[in-house]
Amino acid sequence: FRFKDSLAEDVRRADLVISHAGAGSCLETLEEGKPLLVVINEKLMDNHQLELAKRLHKGGHVFCCNCSTLVETLQSMDLSTLKPFSPGQPEKFALFLDNIFGFQ
Amino acid sequence: TGGHTTEILRLLSCLSESYSPRHYVFADSDKMSEAKIRSFEQKRAETFSNSQFTLDRIPRSREVRQSWMSSVGTTLYSLLYSLPLTYRLQPDLILCNGPGTCVPVCISALLLGLLRIKRAVIVYVESICRVETLSLSGKILYYLSDYFIVQWPELKEKYPRSVYLGQIV
Repeated sequence: FRFKDSLAEDVRRADLVISHAGAGSCLETLEEGKPLLVVINEKLMDNHQLELAKRLHKGGHVFCCNCSTLVETLQSMDLSTLKPFSPGQPEKFALFLDNIFGFQ
Repeated sequence: TGGHTTEILRLLSCLSESYSPRHYVFADSDKMSEAKIRSFEQKRAETFSNSQFTLDRIPRSREVRQSWMSSVGTTLYSLLYSLPLTYRLQPDLILCNGPGTCVPVCISALLLGLLRIKRAVIVYVESICRVETLSLSGKILYYLSDYFIVQWPELKEKYPRSVYLGQIV
């Protein structure tokens, strides 16, 4: 498919997601609790876009590879070693703001 | 723009109706944010009956990777729009999360504060994508905001003046 409004449905039905390192794609997949393999193309990417992918990889939440190592990574990776990534908690932000303004 | 809008709507998701009316300001070149915002506010109106919001556009302050020098020029141009807008809205709280658009808005609010017209609390939340480095907006607003929130401990270490609440989007 070319462009869909949302890939959420497809992600939910998948057993493994292989994606570029865009933050939205990574976080949406992790939220659905799906294993994620991030393919990094250093030539195309902005340095700062890599920060999140690297950090997620370091934390054991995603697998990383580049275009040339894609096949071997798929063959050798063990999905059970992935650690779940807990979703963000906007409640903490709401609480923080409420404290500033004195709301209960 | 895009990811920023998604993040800021998540930040808003747990706010009570004390944070009303909400005035959304975004870049005139942004085609997608309006739909996301309307969708968010529509859902919100299902829970909070008196929910109010407005939408305003200002010229985009800076394109991705635009040079520093020309960015100053385009930001000044955006200021011509953001200043009367901020004066009209007189916000108590400005919540921003990184697109270039937030810089002229915050500068406008600071000016209004200096002129004793209206003092707004400026809360900046750096994107969750920023783990080791701040965005350009973040570097500018680190000293100008009242509260500067980062989402990774690495940034909290580098920028001690910041607030770390964990991942909040």
